[in-house]
Amino acid sequence: MITKEEVLRIAKIAKLYVKDDEADRLIEDMSTIIDYADAINAIVEDRDVEFDDINNIANAYNEDVVLPSYDRDEILKNREGGENGYFLVRKSLRG
Amino acid sequence: MSYELVAGLETHVELSTKAKIFCQCTTEFGGDPNTHCCPICMGMPGTLPKLNKKVVEYAVKAGLATNCKIRNVSKMDRKNYTYPDLPKAYQISQFDKPICYDGYIKLSSGKNIRINRIHIEEDAGKLIHEGGDTYIDYNRGGVPLIEIVTEPDFRSIDEVIEYLEKLRLIMKYIGVSDVKMQEGSLRCDVNISARKKGDEKFGTRTEIKNMNSLNFIAKAMEYEFNRHVDILESGGVIDQETRRYDSALNITESMRDKEDEDDYRYFRDPDLVNIIISEEEINKLKVELPQLPDKKLDIFMNEYGLPKDDADLLIKYKKIAEYFEEASKGIKNKKLVSNYILSQVYRRMPTDSDKEECSVSLPPKYLGELISLLENKKINSSMASQALEKMLDTGKPVSEFISKKDMEGIDEGLLREICLRAVDENKEAVESYLGGKEKAFGAIIGYIMKETRGKADPQKAAEIVKEIIKTS
Repeated sequence: MITKEEVLRIAKIAKLYVKDDEADRLIEDMSTIIDYADAINAIVEDRDVEFDDINNIANAYNEDVVLPSYDRDEILKNREGGENGYFLVRKSLRG
Repeated sequence: MSYELVAGLETHVELSTKAKIFCQCTTEFGGDPNTHCCPICMGMPGTLPKLNKKVVEYAVKAGLATNCKIRNVSKMDRKNYTYPDLPKAYQISQFDKPICYDGYIKLSSGKNIRINRIHIEEDAGKLIHEGGDTYIDYNRGGVPLIEIVTEPDFRSIDEVIEYLEKLRLIMKYIGVSDVKMQEGSLRCDVNISARKKGDEKFGTRTEIKNMNSLNFIAKAMEYEFNRHVDILESGGVIDQETRRYDSALNITESMRDKEDEDDYRYFRDPDLVNIIISEEEINKLKVELPQLPDKKLDIFMNEYGLPKDDADLLIKYKKIAEYFEEASKGIKNKKLVSNYILSQVYRRMPTDSDKEECSVSLPPKYLGELISLLENKKINSSMASQALEKMLDTGKPVSEFISKKDMEGIDEGLLREICLRAVDENKEAVESYLGGKEKAFGAIIGYIMKETRGKADPQKAAEIVKEIIKTS
């Protein structure tokens, strides 16, 4: 069972504001999800989970060869603001 | 109460591949902002990264050169954090299966600094903060890095600096990075704490992020260690936090809100397949490794009999070390070769990058020929020096500047004749010398060298002159 402290901590990391009564409901929901994941874990226990790779492919590599990059206008197409070829992050209110 | 410093390092080394780690944009430093970019390194939805094979090879080589074990099966993971230098909001890195682990670098004291792991990851873009706004250039985004993580084995700033210098030299020797610190291709995070001398338990540590100069690292560590000691002495507690070094003020300051908690939510990157390296491939890369600086130092000192200071200077630049090796082939007195390289040849390479490239036009073989003549007493040292200057000017062999006849020197009969004349024509100097002025003797020898156009053996000449003065 997940604890209320854990739910609130996860909410904080996810930058979500959770009301007290919502937390109780979340405990229930999240516990169900975790139980389900545990159930799946129990099934796959004897497989090599560490290196699970459903495609069964390894070593797909690029050669170390340079190809032309994209035209900068294409790269910057959806930016807002910015000049001299830079992206811009505007000053935020926080801090 | 006396305190001991405890530190561990995380060092980022930019690999010198031509193309980026997951796409084929160039890794070249600089360039106009956002011109070395494509949808893959910009993290556009629907794009598929593919690992550059050279990155794996370089990482394995770095591991082998630092005594690491190499993992036969490894994988890439996503490290999630939201910051504008990462367009995908995650960095592709390695979490629980780093490609190299359990290595060490030996310091000159004989102490090993243990390397916990070396993993592969991508570099982030560059942020330029200006007037509260932030401008982003993603050219560096996706340039391959290795991160080399040590155990907290350092007990002094000197040990940290020596380790970094050694690490840098090794990376340069094996050719996986040009490790230009000013271009940020070697950057360091330092974990540091203080504990009372004799204590077993480590103190609470702080981390100083992202420094790219040995000088700043030393200063930041000194400041931070003293800060810890001051807090502990006054009964305070150290906050475990990330700090930044401000080189202008020479202080460290807290970087992040303590409210923020790091949680990178690592998970396997499903876009990238397993990296499998066979023992055979590892052995092949091992064979490709050049002789490492420590080994060279050992040979230069113990086989060639060079003093440590000379050997240190020679190995500092791989190409100069190789120049020395080439020039000293067949020479018995290797110190003679080293002397000429570290004086006259060295002076022709004033900058660091000149030395890096060993940018002299004189082939090492020609220097060897000159030293061989000197060693076999065909010429004297002043002739050698003069000829070497001309050889360095032109890149031509010694035979262009010293004729066979010159090499024969002058016979003793002729030398005696000239010495007699020298004493006769420098009566004042002879008197001063007899009056106790050692310096005056130089004038007499100078006369002889001039008369013989440098061909006389100055030592022999001095002997004869002294004999003449004594008997006259």
